[in-house]
Amino acid sequence: MKKHVTIILLLWLCQLPIFAQNKITGKVSSPDGLALPGVNIQISGSTQGTATDAEGKYILNAPSDATLVFSFIGYISQMIKVDNRSVIDVTLDPESKNLNEVVITALGIKKEAKTLGYATATVNADQISTNRSPNVMSSLQGKMAGVNISTLSTGPAGTAKIRIRGQSSFSGQNSPLIVINGVPIDNSNFAGGGDYGARSANNSDGGDGLSSINPDDIESMTVLKGATAAALYGSRAKDGVVMITTKSRGTGKGLGLDYNMNFTTDTPLDFTDFQYEYGQGEGGVRPTSENPTSGVWSFGEKFQPGMKQILFDNEEYPYEPVYNRVRKFYNVGTNLTNTITVSNNGVNGGFSMSLANTDNKGIVPNSKFNRKTVNIGFSQNISKRLTASGNINYSKEKNTNPPQLDAQDFATPTVLFTLANSMPFEALEKNQTHPNGDEFVFSRFLVRNNLYYSVNKHFENITRDRLFGNVALKYEFTNWLYLQLRVAQDFYVRNQDYNIPNGYAPIAKAPTGFVNGSYTQDVRRNTERNLDFILGGNHTFGNIGVDVTLGGNQRYARMDYNSVTVQDFIQPGLYTVMNGRVKNPLYSLSEKKINSLYGAATISYKEFLYLNVTARNDWFSTLAPQNRSILYPSVTGSFIFSQAFSALPAWLSFGKLRAAYAQVGSDNVQPYSNALYYSVDNNLFPNPSGQLVPVGGINTSLVPNKNLRPLRVKEVEGGIELKLFNNAIGFDFTYYHKTTDDQILAAQISDASSYTNQLINVGRSKNQGIEFLLTGAPVNTKSFRWDVSFNASYNTSKVIKLGLSDKDTVITVGGGGGRTLNEVVGKPIGQLYTFTYLRDAQGRQVFDKNSGLPMRNNTLKNVGNALPKYFGGITNTFTYKGITLSALIDFKLGYKMIAGRNINYMRHGLSKRTLPGRAEGYVIGNGVNPDGEINKTKSAVQPFYESINPLGINEDFVSNAGFWKLRQLTLSYDFGKLLPQDWFIQGLRLSAVANNVLIIKKWTENMDPEEVLNSSDNAAGLDFWPGLPPTRSLGFNLSLRF
Amino acid sequence: MIFKTLNSKNMKTKTLYILTILLVANLFSACDNDFDEINTNKVDPTSLAPTFVMNKAIISTTYLDGVSTLGMLCYNFGIVQQVITPYGSSLSGGNYNQFNNANTPLVWVNFYRNVIKQIVAVVEQTKDDPLQKNTYNAARIWKAYAFMILTDTYGDIPYFEAGQGYINELIRPKYDAQEAIYKDILKELDEASAALDLSQAAVTTDILYGGNVAKWKKLGYSLMLRAGMRLSKVDETTAKNYVTKAVAGGLFESNADNSVIRHTAIWNNYIANHLAAREKTNFYLAAPFVNYLKENNDPRLPVFAVRYVGAKGGPEQTGARASSDPKVQIGMPMGYNDVTINSVLAQNGVVSLWDFTQINLTTVLKLDAPEFHVTYAENQLLLAEAAFRGWVTGEPAAYYAKGIRANLEQMALYDASATIKEDAILAYLAAHPLTAGKELDLINTQYWVATFLDGSECFANFRRSGFPALKKNPYPGSEIKEDFIRRMPYPDGEIIVNLQNVNDAIARQGANDLNTRVWWDKK
Repeated sequence: MKKHVTIILLLWLCQLPIFAQNKITGKVSSPDGLALPGVNIQISGSTQGTATDAEGKYILNAPSDATLVFSFIGYISQMIKVDNRSVIDVTLDPESKNLNEVVITALGIKKEAKTLGYATATVNADQISTNRSPNVMSSLQGKMAGVNISTLSTGPAGTAKIRIRGQSSFSGQNSPLIVINGVPIDNSNFAGGGDYGARSANNSDGGDGLSSINPDDIESMTVLKGATAAALYGSRAKDGVVMITTKSRGTGKGLGLDYNMNFTTDTPLDFTDFQYEYGQGEGGVRPTSENPTSGVWSFGEKFQPGMKQILFDNEEYPYEPVYNRVRKFYNVGTNLTNTITVSNNGVNGGFSMSLANTDNKGIVPNSKFNRKTVNIGFSQNISKRLTASGNINYSKEKNTNPPQLDAQDFATPTVLFTLANSMPFEALEKNQTHPNGDEFVFSRFLVRNNLYYSVNKHFENITRDRLFGNVALKYEFTNWLYLQLRVAQDFYVRNQDYNIPNGYAPIAKAPTGFVNGSYTQDVRRNTERNLDFILGGNHTFGNIGVDVTLGGNQRYARMDYNSVTVQDFIQPGLYTVMNGRVKNPLYSLSEKKINSLYGAATISYKEFLYLNVTARNDWFSTLAPQNRSILYPSVTGSFIFSQAFSALPAWLSFGKLRAAYAQVGSDNVQPYSNALYYSVDNNLFPNPSGQLVPVGGINTSLVPNKNLRPLRVKEVEGGIELKLFNNAIGFDFTYYHKTTDDQILAAQISDASSYTNQLINVGRSKNQGIEFLLTGAPVNTKSFRWDVSFNASYNTSKVIKLGLSDKDTVITVGGGGGRTLNEVVGKPIGQLYTFTYLRDAQGRQVFDKNSGLPMRNNTLKNVGNALPKYFGGITNTFTYKGITLSALIDFKLGYKMIAGRNINYMRHGLSKRTLPGRAEGYVIGNGVNPDGEINKTKSAVQPFYESINPLGINEDFVSNAGFWKLRQLTLSYDFGKLLPQDWFIQGLRLSAVANNVLIIKKWTENMDPEEVLNSSDNAAGLDFWPGLPPTRSLGFNLSLRF
Repeated sequence: MIFKTLNSKNMKTKTLYILTILLVANLFSACDNDFDEINTNKVDPTSLAPTFVMNKAIISTTYLDGVSTLGMLCYNFGIVQQVITPYGSSLSGGNYNQFNNANTPLVWVNFYRNVIKQIVAVVEQTKDDPLQKNTYNAARIWKAYAFMILTDTYGDIPYFEAGQGYINELIRPKYDAQEAIYKDILKELDEASAALDLSQAAVTTDILYGGNVAKWKKLGYSLMLRAGMRLSKVDETTAKNYVTKAVAGGLFESNADNSVIRHTAIWNNYIANHLAAREKTNFYLAAPFVNYLKENNDPRLPVFAVRYVGAKGGPEQTGARASSDPKVQIGMPMGYNDVTINSVLAQNGVVSLWDFTQINLTTVLKLDAPEFHVTYAENQLLLAEAAFRGWVTGEPAAYYAKGIRANLEQMALYDASATIKEDAILAYLAAHPLTAGKELDLINTQYWVATFLDGSECFANFRRSGFPALKKNPYPGSEIKEDFIRRMPYPDGEIIVNLQNVNDAIARQGANDLNTRVWWDKK
């Protein structure tokens, strides 16, 4: 490839001037007199041209009757006749920001927003870095129409779930593609999951790919929402693209130095409303000896002044409520980020280099995160025609004891939110282990272990060294034709280790001579490599402009995974793999390749009519040979009617209509899904004569599919954009309709098939919705300005076809404990189901005749849709003499969840629902027995409220999952004007910020509806274990420019 | 020269095109050239020697993790009143005679997902290979055994279409009537046992018998005896027919023939593992079992039992308090929960619920304690009953004595310290003749003791024989209609994904609850 470039270079170096012409010189400047370097000057109707130098000066030979076209991105182009002049100085006016915004589109190609036939949304650096929430993505919550973001409240290293225009396929991958500087990166998430006892005894939120990015390095973030926007990114862009551009050169002239400091605190919030009338104990009895180790049951006695309890440490404590559990255990977390950016900008290029350090102390004791990043971006003109550019990002992340979630054992929220309501925290803190190192058990429920023990004895370290970036060479053959070659790689090594401590009570004692416990050491090496070329050309024929791009991409992804788990140790307290008694090594390798060819053409007419056509062909290594190749097209159009018709009223500053149609194909499946694989167990088993012999078998519970086809998305969208009254009011409206066919799904199947799921190409669903953005400045005086930005989205979906035949109308994609998430023909994606109480024909609840316990209706009931129908946000910004106050209110509405954690709150006696019957000592359920007689059977209190857990009856906890929140408040002051003109500090801005300020309205019991535990689409709306409490962050941001 | 030639604009354009084409060709010479290789898993094989897979099936037949054993701990052991927990919620089951959807599906899940999956693959791989004839027939025997446990637990189940999610893409298998299943199991055992070929070389990598074909044959016929006897209430003719056939085929001749899994310090006995740790303080030997053993001076009591005398809480269940002395053993009475039990502590002679007798973790539930699938003792006790019924020749009392002796001798296989001395065996045998008029009771009560910790078999034989004559668990919150739980309901997962077939089974068999009797469990 290098050879080819050299030849091309040589060719062009040998070119001789063909014409002899008049020499013209001049200077190009902006209205405020600043020189504009890099302005493109072209002789109209020819390929000849030049560009201005660092002083804005140029020299050009041109015929005396020629017309020169001066163009520069962000400025209004001018056409000037030479008219025999030899000096032509030009002043270019900047384009009004709103009108001619430049958008970075697929493959990193910059385009003027007005030419696009589809909806995009952009946020700039300030919106991301000034008021930041712990997680980069969550700072975008509520700011972009059609973009729905949720996080696990696990801090800056946590996982964010992003859905654009709703969830399109039933399961699998619905996340947008993350593209940094034009090249996709790996965004695999390592959020926990798995049961106790398995290798995945670790249930931490290990974060995702985005956590390697320092918000201060982001220059802009653009979301390409539809399939059309993403047509050129192919398969992984079926759910849109989040395009992040990091800084690659300075913004001002010459050398620049920026410093940014951000400090925030995260305060955990408590949304529980538990009963504090009856205290710790079981069966109505309070603990009076060290032994009934109730610990996590609040079915004790009614609190009376002066009552005492004897707890597990055999000490006497007052028998009284212990309030405020969240703040008693969780800390106020802190985040401090310091970023220094050095940049340069000159006529032949520039660079930007930043160094950043983030220190986070999590709300969970002993949980912390450090990230150091170096980001280097550069762009350099090697010769007049050849430009080299690149971006390299190196990050070193160290995540110490990331929060454990979604499980029992070491997950602190599970224990904290079930802890008896009269359990003094000092007793737990004081008594973590016995002198011999064994866990000090405080409850007979062993896997509700002492919180302090969990955070002090269980450890986990995750480090990630990651280098990603790309280098590109761009050669301009002429002013209208270029070739770009780019190599990009995202490589990281992720090390992870964690233990189950020696002496942990829920695991068996080790054989003589060993101590129990386990230790796991994992290494993942991940490579994603993209090679691509783009050949681009454009030409203007009179009023018609043509812009053609051809390209190809090869993507190769590989993940190597090495893991060793050892069990039981020789030397206590030494957690190494060598020290283990039983060793279980594991290695896996996953490889995947996608080759693509694509082309795009834009035809414009008089700068008001644009037509864009693309085609892309992908070949997927993961699919069946006969189905590997898929070709998909897109067509978009944009019509700027405000420019086309001169007779429009003056108040209409800008008006554009747009329409688009696109298809995307995707494999959406893991490698090796085409065959059934076996594995050999690590450990041999003795035959009767003691000879150790191998054991092995089929190692999957998923039925593979040899004939998988790519899924296809077809999307139509249309929209209108208006700017009124000299841009005082902006209006943007989009309608879209998206069909997803041939989805690849791991449908749940009968266990009696010996498998739990089957991979099938199944069904069709459609998503449609509208997105709406209204911006305006209701007040705009010289000293005071009020800006409003309101975005809202409505998304609805429908499952049209499922399964392989028409008889298949329901599939289950996830669930457990009587809660399932199903896809149902004719209904929106994501239907929640649960078991309900048995009722008779008159609707009366039925109770068992002998036990008096509630009975179950054995048919699952549909209780609603788990995905939000409406979401959006309103930002009000007030500016008064350099002081800016901004407030964001956001909302998600029109969906349900099963707040299943309340079953645990019932079972542990904390829910206020467990109060009836306590005074009497029994409950008589209000209803009938199976014979239709009024129920008179007394049931003991505790068993009555415990009974719904084993029965999986969740109907009491089905809730509206919607909310209104005051998400962000920002107060900032720009000290820029106060600074002396020639001082070494040129800019200074200080902001005070608050995030997740207030829930204005919610419907869920004992929780924030946004507290999700799992980023999987297969668990949407299904809640069981409590998550980490959400946090409110407060802080400030200082930005200095030298 | 070259430069000059290339200098013409046309030529340049052409060269450019050629270069571009070359470039494209370089990258995409064949767009899916190496894709077959890329999409091949280079770590995991697509097949394995069938005997290794069969080993996996055999290991999986007892449970692979602690939580999965809760089906046995909470239901089977409790229903037959050998082991119970006073605790409810996630541990409720046989102790309260209540439905608990977390524990009722565990047999189903373990057997279909782990055992049937692997054993079906073995049968599939070996069926047409004459050199694998013995592995094939051994696999058929094991498959028959696994399905017996499944159908005994749930009644009508997917049988003919089961385990074929991959092979035939049968993802919602239909349910077969238990009668048809048992007929096929008997046929399979008959064919497979007969087809085992003693002249073929032994496959020594077999963990069960080390490739000893003669022992596999005996296992086949021993299972046939078990399956035949299972039909004693519902179809005497078939029962008698197969019992006779089994005897003719050749049964176990000593404890050396037992089908047993020899757990190791790595491959644990997971009932032991679970009771040694997570559920350590939660399960107790039930009074009916302890009292029976005590009243009969049973030398097996100290092997089965331990009491942490005077323990007032879980942490006090220490080695220092441990006693297996038969005299101090106190079983936990049936019918109480963790609160109500406190009202009967004194009258039982204990200081707390933690003071009741538990299962001995140094013998029958050492972490590496063996688990028995089919034993010589069980064979002999079944033969005693068959002889009593006149289906086989021989003295019932002789079989009975041999069965008891075999089981007493079997204790030594748990741990050398559990060995029952010859004089104790003789004394016990002398004190326990097969008294006329009480044969079925005595035989099946001995079977009850002999199948301690083999929950599936113990529960099945209790339902078939009606012995021992246990009293109804008096727990006041019982949800069942008869005196005992008769069956496990189908898992919720089946209601969710295989509803039509479940409904067909319910229409044939009866309500999907704990009351419905399976076909062979005729009232």
